[in-house]
Amino acid sequence: MISYRNILCSAVAAAALLAGPALAEDKPAALGVGVFSFTSGGTAAYGKPGRDAAELMIERINAKGGIGGVPLSATYVDEGQGTEGVIAEYRKLAGDAATEVMIAALSSGNCMALAPVSDQMKVPTVGWNCDTHQLYLKDAHPYFFRPNGNTVPEFVAYAAYLIAVKPDVKRIAIINPDYAFGHDAAKIFTTAIKAFKPDVEVVAELFPKLGAGTYQTEISRLTAARPDVIFSNLWGGDLENFVRQASPRGLFRSSQAVLALGESSMQNVQIPEGVIVGVLGDGWWMSPDAAANPETREFAEAYKAKYGKWPVFPAMKMANSFLYVQAAYDKAMAGNGGKWPSRDEVAAAMKGSEVKTLTGTMQTRADNDGVVDQIIGVTAKADGHDGPVIGDMVRYKGADLMPPAGEDPIAWIGTLSADLPTKLPQPGSYK
Amino acid sequence: MPLLPLATGAIIALVAATFAFPWLEFVLTLAIAKGLAALGVAILLRGGLISIGHAMFFAIGAYATAFAMRDFGITDVFALILISAIISLVAGLLIGAFVVRYRAIFFAMLNLAISMVLFSLLSKFYGVTGGTDGLRVGTPTVLGMVLEAKGFATFLFYAAIAAMVLAGLAVNAYFKSPLGEALSAVHTNEIRLEYLGIPVRGVLLVAYGLSALLAGIGGTFAAMTIGHVLPDMAYWTDSGHLVLVAVLGGISGIGGPFVGAAFLELVHTLAAGVTDAWNMIVGAALLGVIFFLPKGLIGFIRPTKKGDLA
Repeated sequence: MISYRNILCSAVAAAALLAGPALAEDKPAALGVGVFSFTSGGTAAYGKPGRDAAELMIERINAKGGIGGVPLSATYVDEGQGTEGVIAEYRKLAGDAATEVMIAALSSGNCMALAPVSDQMKVPTVGWNCDTHQLYLKDAHPYFFRPNGNTVPEFVAYAAYLIAVKPDVKRIAIINPDYAFGHDAAKIFTTAIKAFKPDVEVVAELFPKLGAGTYQTEISRLTAARPDVIFSNLWGGDLENFVRQASPRGLFRSSQAVLALGESSMQNVQIPEGVIVGVLGDGWWMSPDAAANPETREFAEAYKAKYGKWPVFPAMKMANSFLYVQAAYDKAMAGNGGKWPSRDEVAAAMKGSEVKTLTGTMQTRADNDGVVDQIIGVTAKADGHDGPVIGDMVRYKGADLMPPAGEDPIAWIGTLSADLPTKLPQPGSYK
Repeated sequence: MPLLPLATGAIIALVAATFAFPWLEFVLTLAIAKGLAALGVAILLRGGLISIGHAMFFAIGAYATAFAMRDFGITDVFALILISAIISLVAGLLIGAFVVRYRAIFFAMLNLAISMVLFSLLSKFYGVTGGTDGLRVGTPTVLGMVLEAKGFATFLFYAAIAAMVLAGLAVNAYFKSPLGEALSAVHTNEIRLEYLGIPVRGVLLVAYGLSALLAGIGGTFAAMTIGHVLPDMAYWTDSGHLVLVAVLGGISGIGGPFVGAAFLELVHTLAAGVTDAWNMIVGAALLGVIFFLPKGLIGFIRPTKKGDLA
C-alpha cells in the first residue's frame, strides 16, 4: 500500500524537478549527461567497457555528492543504431535543457557527424574514444572537445618504440581493419617508420574487412612475406580471432608483432610474451602514474568487483572523460562565484583546460584536441597479478608527438628527424 | 475524394508534431527523405521488379550534394537539389539501360551488385570520398540568404514536405498515364504488352529513371539534414531498408512509402530511447504489421479495390 506521505514526497520532488529549469541560476535536481557508446553489434567490444565505466563513474561521483552538490543522471544512447539514429538522439537530448553536457562518441564517423551538430546546438560535447586526426583538420568545432587525443601521436609512438627496440628492422608488414581507422594507422605508421629509417620496406599491407572472423589467408600471406615486424591495429573480436589463429601458426615467433590496441584484448586471449602493445594514450590502469593515484586503484578494484574484469583502456578513456566534465564544472563554478554554470560557461571552462585524469594529465589544445601522453610496452608476466601486464614501458610526452594545429599531419610526420627515437625516453624507462 | 482530406490531415499532423516535439523535425525530415527513395522502389515494385540496390541512388544524391558543396562551392539549396536530381537521373538511366534487360532475382542481384561496387568505391577512394568516415556537408544557403543552422533545418523540413507533395502528385499522374498503366501491365503479362506494340524496355527504363531520380532527391535531403554523408548510405542493408519501408507502408498508393518511413523511423527512435534491445522492438513491430496488415500500414485507411496490386 502506498502511503500518503510517499505520494506527498514524490509530489514535492516532482514540483522541484519542474521548477528546476525555471530558476536558471539555481542548481538543478540532476545534471543530465548524454552518454553515447556501442551496446549492440561487434563494436560493443569497446562500447560495453565504456558504458560500464560510465555507470561506475556516475555511481562514484554521486556517492561523493555529485558535481557541485548535483548528482549526475545519464541517458545512454546506442551508437549501434547508425549515424542517423545517433544524430536524432543527440538532437532530442540537446533539445531538452535538462541534458547539459554530452559524452559522445566512440566511433570517429559519429564524432565527425556530431561535431557540427554540437556547434549548432551549443552543447559542450566530449569525444571520449574517437581519434581520427581529420576531426579538427578543416573546421573548427568550438563546442566539441576531445581530451582523448588523435591517431597521429598514437601511431607515431609505435614507430618510435619499434625503432628503439629493433633498430635493424628492414621488412614490415601491416594487417589493419578495412576502414578509415585501419588505413589512417597504416599511413601514419609507415610514414613515421620511413622518416626514422628510410630503407624500411613494406612487404605486405593487408586490410581484412571489419568482423572478418577468419584470417587464415592473411596469415599465410604474412608468413610468406617474411617480415621482421607485423604491425596491426585490429581490435576487439577481430584482434582476438587473429591472435587465436596466428599463434598456433607461429607468426609471433617468426616476426615481432606490434598490436597497437593489444591491451584491450589481453584479458580475453593469450597474447604471447614480448608482443609490443599499448593503449592509444595513457589509459593503462597499472601504469606507475595510475598506481600512484589511490582513486585509480579504487576505480579499478570496483570495476573488477562489479564486472569481473580489469578496466581496459576504453573504460579508462570513458572514466577520464567524466573527470574532464567534472573539472570543467568545478572551474566554471569557481569562476562565477559558485553559481550553476550554463552550457556556454561549461564549454568556456573546457577551453584550454588542463585536467588531472586517473592515468595522468591531459592538456586541451587551442583547437580543442587533447594532448595526451602515450604509453607503450611489451606483454609480460608479473608477480602478484593474475593477468598479463605490460613491461618495458615507455611514456612519451604527448606534446612531442603531436603535429602543430592546422598543419597537414602526414606531411608533418615526414619532417620528423631520423634521430627522434633516440632523443625520446627509451623503452623500459617508465617504471 | 476522401484521400485529399486524409493527406492534408497527415501533413498537418506532421507539422503539429514538430511544434510539440522540436527534435522530431530531424527525424521526420529524414523519414520523408527515405520515403522519397522508398517511393522510387515502390514504382519498380508496381512493375514487378524488386531492387535490392536502390540505396545506391540515395547515396549518389547525397554524395553529389557533398561534392558540389566541397569541390564546386555551390551552396544554394535549390541548385544542390537540382544538381543531385540530374546526376541521379543520369546515373539511373545509365544503370537502368543495362539492368532493365533482366527480371526477378537477376534484376534484384544486379542492382545489389552495382550498389555494392559503389559502396566499395566510396569506402576505398579515401582521398576523394573521405573513406568510411565520410564527408561533411555544411549548411546550404537559401536563395542567397545565409540561414542559421537551426533555421535551415526548419526550412528543410518544410521543403521536404513540399517535395513529398510534389513527388506524390507527379507519381500519381505517372501511374495514371499510359506509361504508368503499361508498367502494371509488365507485371501482369509482358509478352502481351510486346504484342500490343509497347516497348517493354522503354517502359521499364522510364520507371527506373524516375525511381532513381526520387531516390537521389531523397539522398540530397538526407545529406543536408544529417550534415554528413557516409558510404553506409549505399550499403545493401540500406537498400533492404527501402524495400522494407515500401512494403511496410503499402505499395498500393502514393502515401504508403511515406507512412512506412515515418512509422519505422519513429518506432526506431522510441525503441532506441527505451532499451538497448531496440532491434527486438523494431522487429516485433515489423512482424505485427506483416501478420495483421498484409496490405501494409496504408491498408488501415485505404479499402482494397479491385485491381490493386500486392
